[in-house]
Amino acid sequence: MDLKTMFKKTSINKEPETEPVEGEQKPEAPQGIMKKCNKCGKGLFTEEYKNNLYICPKCGGYFRMPAHRRIALVAEEGSFEEWDTGLVNTNPLRMKGYPDKVKELQEKAGLDEAVVTGRAKIGENDVVLMVMDGRFLTASMGAVVGEKITRAVERATSERLPVVIFTCSGGARMQEGMTSLMQMAKTSAALKRHSEAGLLYISVLTDPTTGGVTASFATLGDIILAEPKALVGFAGPRVIEQTIGQKLPKGFRRSEFLLEHGFVDRIVDRHYMKEELCYLLDLHRQEQRGDVTADIEEISEEVKLQGAYKPPYKVNTEHAKDKTAWERVELARAKGRPVGEDYINGLFDNFIEMHGDRYYGDDQAICGGIATFHGQPVTVIAQMKGKNTQENVKRNFGMPMPEGYRKSLRLMKQAEKFHRPIICFVDTPGAYPGIGAEERCQGEAIASNLYEMSDLKTPILSILIGEGGSGGALAMAVADEVWMLENAIYSILSPEGYASILWKDASLAQKAAKAMRLTSYDLYKAGFVETIIPEPENYTLDTMLDICVHLDDMICAFLKEKMNLPEEVLVAARYDRFRRM
Amino acid sequence: MIRKILIANRGEIAIRIIRACREMGIETVAVYSEADRDALHAQLADEAVCIGPATAKDSYLNMEQIISATILTGADAVHPGYGFLSENSRFAEHCEACNITFIGPDSKTMAKLGNKAMARKTMVEAGVPVIPGSDESITDSKQALAVAKEIGFPVIIKAVLGGGGKGMRVAHFAEEFEKEFLTAQKESSQAFGDNHMYLEHYVENPHHIEFQILADHYGNVIHLGERDCSIQRNHQKMIEESPSSIIDDKLRKKMGKAAVKAAKAAGYTNAGTIEFLLEDNENFYFMEMNTRIQVEHPVTEWVTGVDLIKEQIRIASGRHLSYTQNDVQMTGHAIECRINAEDPKHNFHPCPGKITDMYLPGGKGIRLDSAIYSGCTVSPYYDSMIAKLIVFAKNRKEAIAKMHSALGEVIIEGVTTNIDFLYDIMERDDYQEGDITISYMDQVMKEMQEERKWI
Repeated sequence: MDLKTMFKKTSINKEPETEPVEGEQKPEAPQGIMKKCNKCGKGLFTEEYKNNLYICPKCGGYFRMPAHRRIALVAEEGSFEEWDTGLVNTNPLRMKGYPDKVKELQEKAGLDEAVVTGRAKIGENDVVLMVMDGRFLTASMGAVVGEKITRAVERATSERLPVVIFTCSGGARMQEGMTSLMQMAKTSAALKRHSEAGLLYISVLTDPTTGGVTASFATLGDIILAEPKALVGFAGPRVIEQTIGQKLPKGFRRSEFLLEHGFVDRIVDRHYMKEELCYLLDLHRQEQRGDVTADIEEISEEVKLQGAYKPPYKVNTEHAKDKTAWERVELARAKGRPVGEDYINGLFDNFIEMHGDRYYGDDQAICGGIATFHGQPVTVIAQMKGKNTQENVKRNFGMPMPEGYRKSLRLMKQAEKFHRPIICFVDTPGAYPGIGAEERCQGEAIASNLYEMSDLKTPILSILIGEGGSGGALAMAVADEVWMLENAIYSILSPEGYASILWKDASLAQKAAKAMRLTSYDLYKAGFVETIIPEPENYTLDTMLDICVHLDDMICAFLKEKMNLPEEVLVAARYDRFRRM
Repeated sequence: MIRKILIANRGEIAIRIIRACREMGIETVAVYSEADRDALHAQLADEAVCIGPATAKDSYLNMEQIISATILTGADAVHPGYGFLSENSRFAEHCEACNITFIGPDSKTMAKLGNKAMARKTMVEAGVPVIPGSDESITDSKQALAVAKEIGFPVIIKAVLGGGGKGMRVAHFAEEFEKEFLTAQKESSQAFGDNHMYLEHYVENPHHIEFQILADHYGNVIHLGERDCSIQRNHQKMIEESPSSIIDDKLRKKMGKAAVKAAKAAGYTNAGTIEFLLEDNENFYFMEMNTRIQVEHPVTEWVTGVDLIKEQIRIASGRHLSYTQNDVQMTGHAIECRINAEDPKHNFHPCPGKITDMYLPGGKGIRLDSAIYSGCTVSPYYDSMIAKLIVFAKNRKEAIAKMHSALGEVIIEGVTTNIDFLYDIMERDDYQEGDITISYMDQVMKEMQEERKWI
């Protein structure tokens, strides 16, 4: 039954019962009222995405945001004070029509140039804020852009302010030739001085950040954030395709690709950008630091009585013989035993993970970031085993790649710059032995950690929570103090490996475990670790609270002591600690 | 001049609008989602345009598609029906920008009335009664008592930071007020660390009474009497009637006047509804204004003889109201039941599916507004209401008898419906007596649970 053809339609022989209107106009869409989303291709009312932070309400795709909207999004209302407007474009190549084009854009977009610079408040933080605007010659960097950024960075250095730059650029501005190229060096040099002064620089990569801007200030941030799906790269896609004669894969050089390849710390949704910037700036604001020493008074009486919370630690060794070495190996590897993630959640507040080594990748076997400990910002780095097979596959069973160690070193260097203590949690069967790991020189990655950690001018504490496998563990344990959970192990090699090397028989691992002297009690006795944290029977997440309380007290005491030491005394003591061995 | 209207809706309301247009000699354009290819509204209209996938967000809520369809089909106006985009002031704004007549109020008025605080402010300024409350937060119990007396008992004491019933207390008399206030304050301090409270008159067991109004572009506003929609389950109306059994001419006049005042204060045009809460002592309070045609509009149409949809279109085209307040006379009694594809035995869970067979009643005083036909599919993507059965008789008693009889005739096979549930309600003594408050259905459900009937 085709109803459509069976129903009679409206008879239009008579005038409708509605009011005639003089000079009536037919409905039509005025120019510019709708726009096609270049992500999903759907038609949109321009008002709809503008009111939605320039995000397509249909597909969630990001539109480019004008500079003033961006400033309104992240800065406190009325706090922005614009600097260095009206710099004159000298047109160094005497290019015809270029000055007119600049003038036209200035009038049309109401912008001074492709970057807006100035001082603003984000939360309670005074910052130097710079925002590039893609409507102005794709925000390419010529002399005026370079000069504005350099001046703002220099002023930030002299006024001791952090810098936040939202990047968006087609690269160096072709119309100004070599002058544009030199802006890359000029801006980078200014940022180097800013960094040497111990100041924070956060860059936020937005779509698109390419060419000479990627190859200068965009990728120099202490912290690099990116908006989702932003295109970030050096050479243009057409240049690459022409040169290598290959089609580029989908998602190539989008933010997510960069995160995977270790070049950005975090991808931040536009809705949370202000919140996240604010938190990061707070963590780096000097007066924000809590007084960790005040909490020492709260250390539980029991721990105080034991005298176990500060060196020289009293360690009760009466349980040393309760278990065999092999039993402890099995406990260290036991399923259900708390892993790095649990210690991060249990001991710290507001942990914010930082990704990537800035060279090659983001190793999931090592997780690092900034958190607060009783209000004190600290850098926390943990080797991560998974809690189930799926997680373990992602975390590579806690076996780090060279990029994992390089990430940890990057975060440690950052901690040193901002005088943040470092707390490491060690739990690895060993550094990953694989082809890729050797290609990227696992040995060098570990060596660099030993080399650099020995001299970091900030307190380092390493806690062995499970397996401490060889160089892979040591690369996170060149510390002022190394603590060990009662059933953690720490050795030159796995017992299985040891047995197969010495006795050509991996099945003699139990015997090897005993011979290797790898238990906490053995190592404490030999002076490789400062103290042992007693474990409950059947140590799982459910019985972890006591350990956390205990560690909390001990870390308080550790930080109180070490943070008050002059840096050279601290570093000398660390040198001596290993010099003795 | 409006010659062609695009109906941005589906189901029975789209059919209702197409019919009105057809009678008026106006061409119609239906829009439909991919799931609604065979839906009745897409068949009945003169033209039909597919506007996207099944999910409402991509089709019936897709402003860009609907406006593009309007322009491309050469329609002059959009009728939004109810639900979907009908109260979306941004949609109305886009229509205005594209020179499309939106059949409803202008976008600014709609936005103003859609904002609770702004609507309340407009009504307070116009002298329309709203639920009285303390304008500022209070911490001192003596001061609070003075405010409570001003507001009128019973009062509800709420924590400023409150939520989840914590720090909330009702005081029925001045004598118990201080005790209740201090208890609520203590709870608030414990739960939220704050002792700031505010007071509001507590409307106990009110009736849901709404007034239909019509307003043209020349400042003429009339009301078409009330609808009593107190029978609700989880804020979903189930049975509506006009006139209300508890309102006499004097109160009707008073409330109607307030409704007209409210519409005028807001600068309202087209058809709209003012919702009031009415207490047994005849005090009434403005709740909100619905800026669209409503599901239950047929009961008003029947007792007043006004075709609301046609009047909406006439007003939108720029005509003066066809009626003055004196022309509006309410006669007889009308009741509407909403027939839903849902299972009352399983918490009224929606029951989409294919209607394999059906028989719908007719005869004097029976009206059926629906978009179902034998062989059609009730889609899981949209509202489960499949038909509205409206009856008209001389008085309430006869109307109930007619509804009871008509419900007994409705046969819908293939999907589970609430018809038998409605049938049972018609048989209840307390329903037949009238004087129903918004807690009526809770009571009914409780009793049914005890009798193990329906539950």
